[in-house]
Amino acid sequence: MSFRTKLFLIFLVTVLASVSLVAYGVTHYTQAAFEESDAQRSEALVSQFNKEYAQRGDEITRQVKDITDADVTLKVAIDLARPNPDLSLYVRDAVGAAQDHGLDFVEFVNWDGTLISSAQYPARVGYKNDWVTANKNWNDSGFFLRKEELPDGVALSLTVVRVLSGGNDKNMYVVGGRRLDQNFLASLVPPAGTRVLLYRNLEAGFVASALTDVNGPFEQADRLEPLIEQIQKQPRPTVRTIDWTENAGDAESFHAIPLMGRNNELLAVLLLGSSRKELVLLTRHILQIAAAVAGAALMIGLLISLWVSARITRPLEELAEGAREVASGRWDTVIDLRGKDEIGQLASAFNEMTQTLAAQREQLVQTERVAAWRELARRLAHELRNPLFPLQITVENLQKARQLDAKQFLEVFNESTATLKAELANLNTIVGRFSDFSKMPAPQFALVNVNEALRNAVRLFEPQFNAVGKPPVIPEYFLTEPLPEIDADADLLHRAFQNLVLNALDAMPAGGTLTMRTTEHEGNVRIEVSDTGKGLTPEECSRLFTPYYTTKVQGTGLGLAIVQSVISDHHGTISVSSDEGHGTTFRIELPQRQSVQRVAPAEEPAPEKKPPQSFTVAASD
Amino acid sequence: MRFIELRLFAAISCLSFAAQFFLPSPAPAAAHPRYGGTLRIDMHAASVSLNPEQWRVGSLDAAADEKMAQLVFERLVALDNYGRFQPALAIEWSHDGSNKRWRFVIRAGVKFSDGAALSAEDVVSALQPLLPATEQISASGNVVVIQSSVAVPDLLEQLASGRYLVYRVLAGGALAGTGPFVLADAPVGHLYFRANEETWSGRPFLDGIEVTLGVPPLRALFDLQLGKADLIELSPDLVPRARQANVRVWISEPLTLYGLRFDDAQSAASDVRLREALSLSLDRGSMANVLLQKQAEPAAALLPEWLSGYAFLFNVDTNLERAKELRRGLTANEAAGAEPLRLRVDPAGDLAKLLGERVAVNARQASILVQVIARPVSRPGAASTAPSDPPSGVHLFAWHYSSLSPRAELDSLFAAYNLTEAQEVNATSTDHEQLYARERRILEDRRVLPLIVQAESVGLGAGVRDWMPARWGEWHLADVWLETASPALTDPASTANPAVQSSPQPRATAPGAKP
Repeated sequence: MSFRTKLFLIFLVTVLASVSLVAYGVTHYTQAAFEESDAQRSEALVSQFNKEYAQRGDEITRQVKDITDADVTLKVAIDLARPNPDLSLYVRDAVGAAQDHGLDFVEFVNWDGTLISSAQYPARVGYKNDWVTANKNWNDSGFFLRKEELPDGVALSLTVVRVLSGGNDKNMYVVGGRRLDQNFLASLVPPAGTRVLLYRNLEAGFVASALTDVNGPFEQADRLEPLIEQIQKQPRPTVRTIDWTENAGDAESFHAIPLMGRNNELLAVLLLGSSRKELVLLTRHILQIAAAVAGAALMIGLLISLWVSARITRPLEELAEGAREVASGRWDTVIDLRGKDEIGQLASAFNEMTQTLAAQREQLVQTERVAAWRELARRLAHELRNPLFPLQITVENLQKARQLDAKQFLEVFNESTATLKAELANLNTIVGRFSDFSKMPAPQFALVNVNEALRNAVRLFEPQFNAVGKPPVIPEYFLTEPLPEIDADADLLHRAFQNLVLNALDAMPAGGTLTMRTTEHEGNVRIEVSDTGKGLTPEECSRLFTPYYTTKVQGTGLGLAIVQSVISDHHGTISVSSDEGHGTTFRIELPQRQSVQRVAPAEEPAPEKKPPQSFTVAASD
Repeated sequence: MRFIELRLFAAISCLSFAAQFFLPSPAPAAAHPRYGGTLRIDMHAASVSLNPEQWRVGSLDAAADEKMAQLVFERLVALDNYGRFQPALAIEWSHDGSNKRWRFVIRAGVKFSDGAALSAEDVVSALQPLLPATEQISASGNVVVIQSSVAVPDLLEQLASGRYLVYRVLAGGALAGTGPFVLADAPVGHLYFRANEETWSGRPFLDGIEVTLGVPPLRALFDLQLGKADLIELSPDLVPRARQANVRVWISEPLTLYGLRFDDAQSAASDVRLREALSLSLDRGSMANVLLQKQAEPAAALLPEWLSGYAFLFNVDTNLERAKELRRGLTANEAAGAEPLRLRVDPAGDLAKLLGERVAVNARQASILVQVIARPVSRPGAASTAPSDPPSGVHLFAWHYSSLSPRAELDSLFAAYNLTEAQEVNATSTDHEQLYARERRILEDRRVLPLIVQAESVGLGAGVRDWMPARWGEWHLADVWLETASPALTDPASTANPAVQSSPQPRATAPGAKP
């Protein structure tokens, strides 16, 4: 991961964390504010309900009082106070009173508790309502919640009882009430996002059908069962959140208010539902805004971080590029960086370093050049001294032979001239070898079978493997067949393989095994030539391909240099690994294809067969 | 001269005005009947059928149907208020000694409303589908013979009541009768009758009758008080109110029995102990005297006293302690403790529902839980229960007495409610002792529990005169006339013949005709 990327990511993460922190803070505080608002709203709704409840009670109280104050009711009370009244005369009166005064429930109860007339349950006329006569001070009592028995079940009633004296110390009781049901809920006007449910606690346990809203029975009543049961156990205001679906926006907070009867029994539970949709939507909105801000911040941060990182890393990249150029050999690379900061100082130091390196390299090159000339001179001197010394001896012998007779002189002269010719030829050969190395030809690429080329090169040395008087060398082939043909110069390749085989033979004066191995490796062709000689030291390995370096007494030090030159011209690599005392392996890797155009076989002129002697010479190096 | 005339006119006017205040009003009966006018009737029934074949015997709907059909159709014989049979479409009758063969001589000169003459074959065609399977009717000349396989000494009572009306089916399915009125039009919710000018008993006093159907009871009373109706059906709960408002109220003999009948569809109802407990818990007196404000009578028998003559022999007292004791002896399932005993209120209307609820309240005093299911029963042929309704163990029924024969009425009631009798019972006897025994056996089994019998109440407008109905509910509107004629029925037939009002054919006073 580049420094610029790291820098960018750090910047990005910083921006993201900052934006997330801000969004979280805003969401948290908004949610808290909404919860507070929701609580206030619920409180207002509860207050409104209590107000409506009280108003409804006052209204019923007034209506029942109107019935009590009516002349017709007074007439009934007076009639009932007389001895042996005809009770059947008033059976329908409560119905009329209920209709006239808009009450759901009206009953007339005689002084002895006998139900005289009932609007809601006329079938009960004649039966006793003892609970009415149990209290004599109804006129001082307010309204109360009551379980009202009806023909088709039980209902909740906001009830008021008033007493009317008919004389003879006999009172008539007027019981009036209105049903506490969905119509009552409908009369409440809850704020937007809230609703009111009513659970009529008329039976033991939870009864789903007893839970109604303004439209009738509540469909998902079972979800509120735990809340109702909790209120049934402990009748006190309770708040609970109901998740209707997996969507948090459908959740609803319910404030449950128990409604008690005269005897402090739980008769109903009012449920004020407050939707959490607004909260969720608000939260989502904030999150969306936060996401948008974060996105914008990220984009801006991205641009800024790109700019900043580019500004910071550009000098570093230039430094890196400069270092790469130096590595590639351009020692005089200079970085154009200004500034007095650390990077500027680094660039300045880099420039000083490259200048120093260039100077030292020049000095080194000069030194190496001198050393090379010295080595060359030493080698030339060594090579040339060998033939020159016989020449000098021969010439001195000729000078001395002038004193001999003609016959002896002629004999000496002939021997001397033969020796001179031979040594001169030897000098010529030495010069030719140096000349050949200096004139390595450019490769002419054609499709070459590497295995075949390797076999051909080894075949030249087969007579030496079993030469008389010498320990045998056993060649072993581990060649991959088929091996892809590669673009190569067959002659140069042949020459390189010969030098490697010759080098191996020289390394095994006591005999051994010569192993040739070819493989296909990662699209390249790998050739390995191994011997079982005494091996090389690491230092020898490192200098092995240096021209004119040789470990042999008789060697020009050009053989492996030629091999390396050939492999290099084929864009391949050569390496050596040696286990001292066990042998050495040369490993060549050649690409299958060369970027330069291949010589067409039809148009290719017949390669000039160089005299094998030249290879022999090289091989003998 | 002119001054004298003016003075004379003023004096007469003053005398007339003073007479209105100081002289007693002449009795309505003393006034001469006058022709003309349309009698406006409000009825509770939403629809009626004039075809007797479609009536469901004993139903409240059939009662309204019969009232309207009697305007158009007539029977062979009639029964007057003194219990005497009077000739109607038959002018004489006789029977053999075994009371199995009856012979009726058809009145001559009688025409149907379409002008066709009444023949014995018309009588046979009309009555054959209505008579029981044991009776065959045949015609011979102007004689109709009814041959029964069993003795039918009460055949005249049967033929004088119920659905034994003579009619003729016209092309297109319309029915023509010989009665005092002809159905002129029947738009939805109304029936318009016009006077039958050709009726043998003489043209009725009224030009027509306008019947409004489906009028709620209170609305009908308001119509009567406001002069929008001349005759209304009064529901019992409104009778005291109508009387307080000085409305003329006529009340018949008890005509409708309200009772409970048990059904094995709910297993608990099959236990006689539960049925007895429920019977003993019922306070029929309160039902009749308190809930129905004395507009009904407690019923211990299936047939009313006026019809059977022996109803007083039955007596069922409320015995709550005994009812509780019986209840305690029942297991939970037997006593409908696991599930309530479902009481289905078959008749429509508030009265039946109120009675059903009262039964439930009474039963609860004996710890018997009764669930009331109030649902009106539609016209005959309609299902009385919805398919999804749970089975009911007990039904509250209303039975309208339609026959003047106690035996026929009892037979119809038993057949309608599948009340099976022992084989040794002589079901064909008209002897009162035998009838009493039959009824007693059925009541002892407590498969059916009478609750109350209710009379029929009619509110009459101030202008209605000569209202002389039969005490068993026949209205006899042919005799009614209006003192202040209402606007004439806008019927093409009546308007096309103005001579009808100016010179009406007098009512017949021949023997056999209604007075």
